[in-house]
Parts: sequence; structure tokens; C-alpha cells
Amino acid sequence: MAEAATGAVRVEKVRGRSALTRCFARYPLKLIAPSKVGPYSCDAVWLYALTYGGGIVSGDTISCTVSVGDGCTAAFTTQASTKVYKAVGSKCSEQLLEARVGEDALLAVIPDPVTCFSTARYHQKQVFQVSANSNLVVVDWFTSGRYESGEKWDFSFYKSVNHIFLGDQPLFIDSTLLEQGSNYSIAERMQEYNVIVMVVLLGPKLRHIQDKMQDEMKKLMSGQLRPPTSGGSLYTMRSKPPQRPQRPPLIASCSPFGRTGTGMVARVAAVSMELAYSFLRHHLAALEPFLGASPYAAS
Amino acid sequence: MNPLNCSFWFPVSSSFIIERVNSRCVPLLNIVPSTLLMLMESGSPVSKKSRLFHSEDCEMEEVPSNAAGVNPSLHWTQWQILDSILPTGGFAHSYGLEAAMQSRMVNNQEDLKSFVIQVLDNTGSLLLPFVYCASKSPDAAAWVKLDQLLEATLTNEVARKASTSQGSALLRVAASVFTEIQALQDLRRTFLGSKSVSFHHAPIFGLICGLVGFDSETAERAYMFVTMRDVFSAATRLNLIGPLAASVLQHQVAPDAERMMQKWRDRDVSAASQTAPLLDALQGCHAYMFSKLFCS
Repeated sequence: MAEAATGAVRVEKVRGRSALTRCFARYPLKLIAPSKVGPYSCDAVWLYALTYGGGIVSGDTISCTVSVGDGCTAAFTTQASTKVYKAVGSKCSEQLLEARVGEDALLAVIPDPVTCFSTARYHQKQVFQVSANSNLVVVDWFTSGRYESGEKWDFSFYKSVNHIFLGDQPLFIDSTLLEQGSNYSIAERMQEYNVIVMVVLLGPKLRHIQDKMQDEMKKLMSGQLRPPTSGGSLYTMRSKPPQRPQRPPLIASCSPFGRTGTGMVARVAAVSMELAYSFLRHHLAALEPFLGASPYAAS
Repeated sequence: MNPLNCSFWFPVSSSFIIERVNSRCVPLLNIVPSTLLMLMESGSPVSKKSRLFHSEDCEMEEVPSNAAGVNPSLHWTQWQILDSILPTGGFAHSYGLEAAMQSRMVNNQEDLKSFVIQVLDNTGSLLLPFVYCASKSPDAAAWVKLDQLLEATLTNEVARKASTSQGSALLRVAASVFTEIQALQDLRRTFLGSKSVSFHHAPIFGLICGLVGFDSETAERAYMFVTMRDVFSAATRLNLIGPLAASVLQHQVAPDAERMMQKWRDRDVSAASQTAPLLDALQGCHAYMFSKLFCS
């Protein structure tokens, strides 16, 4: 991938501070590294990935390598949602990220969601190489499309792969595939939900955020779940006309992963983007001491 | 053990068996050498343990099982694996159906049908590769790799625990029931209490299917079948559908299940993906429910 890469980033300690020692990008990727995202007292490098035209056209591949050195902190984000434009023929739009996170380092990959237009084909693969005490935040999310204008789950193909390796051991292997043409269309499978979010938190520095998130989600969801009183029963269906019961606008659950439970993954389905943003804003606010700014605060 | 079995299974000379073992089964199992040794020492062609070799011969042959030359008594073992009476604990799991009902995602039979099809689609794309790879090469080293990969792949704790509890129960039951399959005894003895493996259901199922002579396509279809069976069983006990209506629906969904099996079969584990993110998020909520009937 090194040769074909459209972007390469290296963050290392320079005079005791996290510094960008390499920042290469070529068309169609552009990288911006503003220095004033957080206060100077906070030791973090922020990087914004931009694409010309605000999205990825059919057939384009964006590949990027990121290396975060021992003890460094880096945040990798975008300015707005990544649009994936209509597919030309069977060509895919692709985004690849390969990242290495050093000892005691923190990498936060906190982009805005991917929005696939109708007929779009999108493939994304992110591979993270971590050490035993690396810290990693990954937010990987996508929407149904331009759902406000009626384009809902109308893309052709979406595949997102996230791998986390500890040495040569697989720690977290995730692959989500949505494709039209199954028994039920994607829209039918997704019901009224428009956004799917995955949040991965890994490492000792993020322990308290994991615990808090787990507690809050449990509280949030347990109030929403209850056995059907009689609505679901076969026998009442006949006497009463069925009424569509209200479903929770946001469904969220988390699970620990890794043999020692150092990681946690949260999966969320939300009916609207605003709901998903406020969820992320709330739960990731605790990253501010590390990053100097709160993720998704400006959105 | 029924002595009749022996004449049924090995109507050939002992030297012939050993030849077959040497030529065909060596790469398959790490227990082959020791068993082979025992076979030669005893000098008897009718050792119970040697039945394993016969099973694998069947697996190699890509002929329908009712064709001449394949032992029909193998069916008794194969059917028993698919029988709901085999106490593997599958019925303690609803595959997310209970959480889906409690969040009003599944309210009636229409919803149930769509739910079952999504579960089967997800099972096909995520787990069939593991069944396939394990049944294709049922040896211990390959199985350990598959088990560890699936441990990292099932990132949903509810699904992960359901998988390990069903898998370890299946191995325990199979090792106790199919005593003639030495590989199962060895596997159980070697890895019991081991921290490096979790005994996930799909690879164990594939492994056992491979050992009792299912070809990999049948093993994959069987896996879809038991998944569907367990979801319908859960739906019946959740009072979502009556037992007769459940059977009717099971028969209706069968062609869909076959289509999905054909779509996802024979893929490598590197292609395993989940296709139902909404149901995945929902199933994760199972642990949050105040009152529940099922483990997952």
C-alpha cells in the first residue's frame, strides 16, 4: 500500500510534545493539520481529512497510513460527512486506513458519517496495529443517504471492515456488509432507523469512559425494553386491530471484547443524524482532557 | 455397542483399512498415528475407534448418501446431530428474538418471518464460512485458529456467550454420545480448561459434521437448519406464534433458507461479514432486559 497511498501521516515526540513529522497527501485526498484546535497545554495533534468535492466519486480509492509514536496523541477527523456519489457501472469508491498505535499512545479516529447516495458502491477497510497498552477510539458510522430528500437506504453496496491486531493476534474483527438484492431490501431491514454507529474504545486510558458508557447505556435501554403486554400475542391480534407500537428512537448496546476485556464496542441505531450526533457528543465528551477539544462539539 | 455395526462398517480386510487410512486420512487428524498404531497392535479390523476412518471416507466421497457403497447406518449418527432432542442447549437461545420483541421490532407473524430471514442471512454470511472451513478440514490445529478468529469476530457479547455455551455443550454431548469418534475425545481432553480456545458453536458444529461424514454443503445446510429450528422454537415459547403455525412458517421459509445457504456457502472465513447491524445492536440489549426467558 505504501506506494499507492494517497496519504501518509506520522506523529512522533519532538522535544517532549506530539508533533506531525510527516504529512503527505495527494489527489483526491487533502490533509489539514490546524494547530489551534485545543489549548497549548494539551498535547494532541489534530488532522482533518478532506476530499475534493466533499466526497468520493465512483472508482476512486483513498488510502492513508497513520503512525502514532509511543506516548503521542492524535485525532483524525473530517469537516463534514463523507459523501459517496452514484456508482458508474460496478465501480466502487474505496477508503483504506492503516494505522499503527504505539505504546501508551492514543489515536482517535472520529470522522463524520459516510453518506452513500443512491446506487453508490462503497468499501472501507481500517486496520489498526496496537500494542498492549495502546489507546484507540474508532467511530465508524454511516447514514441511509440523503434521507431528508427521500433517498433512504438506496445505495447498492456498502462494506465496512475494521480489524484490530495485537501483534499477530486478532483482537477485534468486524465486518459489516449491506447489499441490495437480498430477500428484504436494506430499507426493509433497517425499518425507520437512518443511522448506524459503531464506537470502539480500547486501552487503559479509556477505562473510565468505557465504564461510564456501559452504565449509561444500560440505564437508557432497560427503560425502553419490556415484554409485550398483550400486543405481541397471537390471541389478542384477532380481537384488536393491530396498532404499530412505538419503538425506541435510539437503540444502543455495548460489549467488552478482547480476552482481558480491555476493549469495548458500542453499536447504535438511531432514527436521525441529530440523535446520533448528540449521543456521540455526550459519550465522547470525556475525551476532551486527552484531545484538547470535545469530539463532535462543533457539529 | 452393537456388534452388528462392525460387520456393517468394515466388510473389508484390515490391511485394506490401513491402506485407506494411510492414503487418505493422514492430513486430517493429529490422532491418526496413535489410533493407527492401536489398530495395528490389536490386529483387529473391528476396533470401535477405527470407525472414524470410515466416516472420513464418506466425507471424501462426493456422492449422495443413499448411493450404493455408503454406509446407511451413518444416517443414524447424522440425524441424531440434527435432532432437537440432542441436549446442546440451543433452546435456551432466541437469537435476539426476545430483545426484538421487547423493543417492539417484532410484533406479529409477518415481522417474525422477516426476522427469521434476516437471522438466517446473517448466519449465512457470518458463520457459514466457519462451518465450512471446519468441516472441510476437521483437524485440531485448524480448528483452534477458527475458534480464535471467531472469538474476535463475534464482537457482540450476548452472541459470543451464546456461541461458546452452545459450542462447548455440543462438544461435550458429541464426545459422550459418539464414543467411537476418537478425535472428539482427544479434542475434549486436550482443550478442556484451556484458556486459548472458547469452543464457539459454528466451528465445533462444522468439525463434528466433518467427522461424522457430512459433506461440507450438507454441513452448511444443517447449520442453517438448526439455527432456523431454534428461532422458531423460541418464537413458539414467546407466544408469538402457535406450534402448528410455526411449522407452517418453517416450511415456507425453507426455500429462502436454501437460497441463502447457496448464496453464502463455501466462503473463506476472511469473507465473513454481518449483514444485520440493526438486529446486532438489538441483540446486544438482551442483557439489559429486566425480565427474560432466554439467555440470548
